[in-house]
Amino acid sequence: MAEPTGTRVRSGSRVPRRVLPYVEGAALVLAVIVPVVLGDRTDLVTLATNVLILSFLAISFDLCWGLSGIMSFGQALFFGVAGYVIALVGRDLEFSEIWGTLPLAMLAGLVLAGLFAAFLLLGRKPPTTIFVALGTLTGSYAAERLVSGWQYVGAGNGLSSIKLLKIGDYEFVEGTAFYFLALSLLVLIYAGARFLKRSQLGLVLAGMRQNEERLAFFGYRVQLFKAVVFSLAGLVAGLGGALYSYHQGFIGPGNMGPGLSTTAVLYCLLGGSGTLIGPVFGAVTVEVLSYVLSDLDALKPIWPVILGLILLAVVMFQPKGILGLVVSDRERIGSYGRRRKER
Amino acid sequence: MGIEIKLAFDLLAFISVMVLIVLGLGIIASMMGIFNFAHGEFVLLGAYTVYLFESSGLPGWAGILAAPLVLALIGVVLERLVIRRFYAAPIIAMLGTYAVGLVIREIVRGLLGGHYKSISEPLPGAFTLFGVDFSIWRTVIVLVTACIIALTWAFLARTSLGLQIRGSLENPNLARACGISTSRLYAMTFAFGAALAGLAGALIVPLYQLSADIGTRFLVQAFLSVMLGGVGTFEGPVLGAAVVGGMAAGLPWVVIPVLADPLVFIIALIIVKFRPQGFITQGRL
Repeated sequence: MAEPTGTRVRSGSRVPRRVLPYVEGAALVLAVIVPVVLGDRTDLVTLATNVLILSFLAISFDLCWGLSGIMSFGQALFFGVAGYVIALVGRDLEFSEIWGTLPLAMLAGLVLAGLFAAFLLLGRKPPTTIFVALGTLTGSYAAERLVSGWQYVGAGNGLSSIKLLKIGDYEFVEGTAFYFLALSLLVLIYAGARFLKRSQLGLVLAGMRQNEERLAFFGYRVQLFKAVVFSLAGLVAGLGGALYSYHQGFIGPGNMGPGLSTTAVLYCLLGGSGTLIGPVFGAVTVEVLSYVLSDLDALKPIWPVILGLILLAVVMFQPKGILGLVVSDRERIGSYGRRRKER
Repeated sequence: MGIEIKLAFDLLAFISVMVLIVLGLGIIASMMGIFNFAHGEFVLLGAYTVYLFESSGLPGWAGILAAPLVLALIGVVLERLVIRRFYAAPIIAMLGTYAVGLVIREIVRGLLGGHYKSISEPLPGAFTLFGVDFSIWRTVIVLVTACIIALTWAFLARTSLGLQIRGSLENPNLARACGISTSRLYAMTFAFGAALAGLAGALIVPLYQLSADIGTRFLVQAFLSVMLGGVGTFEGPVLGAAVVGGMAAGLPWVVIPVLADPLVFIIALIIVKFRPQGFITQGRL
């Protein structure tokens, strides 16, 4: 996979050693051994599962911002709505089979995100980035307000004691089984996103991030590409939301509001946007820190302040995130087509 | 007859609150292209200043006078330390100002101890006109808003400093070539926007209870107002705020309240979608 450092391409520049595959591999190994190590500490396994589930949201946001340059301040909307959908299906139809509900949640995320993308992105005039950012923010905020006043979906209290996810007669409760379910789905989604990033579509997206206008002059329907990726990101967020809902047994208005949406932004920027694995690291870092600090009574009230300071520091001093420290720009943006073999 | 006048007055009072909040946001957005996510927290800080004055035994009106000054100071410091790094990148600016806002909000939440504090109206009571009761404080807000609009307009349109500001908005490079320090102007504009937010917070806090989220509830509406009115104009955001404020206060009378709130956002977004340049296109702050 990694090429020897001496390899040269035609331009004569040295190909930097590729780091991302190692990082990804290490993360996967770590993710597999974590529940084995934690074993009987069920609270920690629950935390780890929660982190995995929030990683869906982080990847979803990275698809928007890191890959296609859409600043979405409303990614939690798709997460929360899908969570509500499966909670309602469980409550009113008494149905929670895995083969039915998870695809349903993905569909819900995909369709809702598709509608949003069609409204915000498509049209005669290309929208400004500000409009898209504020549009997603508004959507998320409006949805939170709507749901918190709507009795049918539990209003401000949200929906609790959601039916457990099951395959046949087996029910997934919090614990190792749920962890591995979330992990395998996350790996699948991650592999899909990774493929997307390295595909020819990914190449177009990379070009769009660089110079949207020029790509448009080449004849690419830039906004359509963005809309497609945005919808797919909605699908990922939807799957995450469904798992969240099943895992917590609870979904509330806060799970679709701007609060969670901006937390997703933080995951992504802290970890390193555009690397896919970076946002996962961001989610792990933030959630684990939050768990550790909330045990310390002195720090608990100022934790949101610390979060804000972290975000500010990242935005001001390290916009490439943690992974930007070890991953070269070239690798972050990605390389496309076949690698040239040394002749 | 009485009820219509009352309704119209309530609408006018809410629109005034909206305009007060949006004015500062609109000026910052027009001048620097930055949508200031910390604006809600500036409003909060203005309200908090009044609370500090009240709880230390000083008269409330002194707090109201002090709030804009305090916020102008905070605005200058923030602009120098943080905001000026973001001028070239509006999206990053959103994230940066969001972070600033989060820090401010959570610090104030910690200081307030998570409680709601009610601030009494400096001029309580009501007066009767044509058999209808008007709240004195709301009337004051309406009048002050009208004054602020007039003064801000006069400042931008009639003074030489206002001319410099309009010039740097129109063409920053040319303004710099003419010897205008745009960097100083930006700092001043940001401080001015923050001061307006502080004044808004100080004036509205008696109407709403003081909590850490007093500013955030208006933030999204304020953003939509600016987009609706058109960035880069002075009248635009005022008009946008009037429309959004009018809808937010008026719609609950027409549809059920649960739907009214999201409906305001949806209508505003649709208008912006089909008229992205805003109501007023002539860029002349």
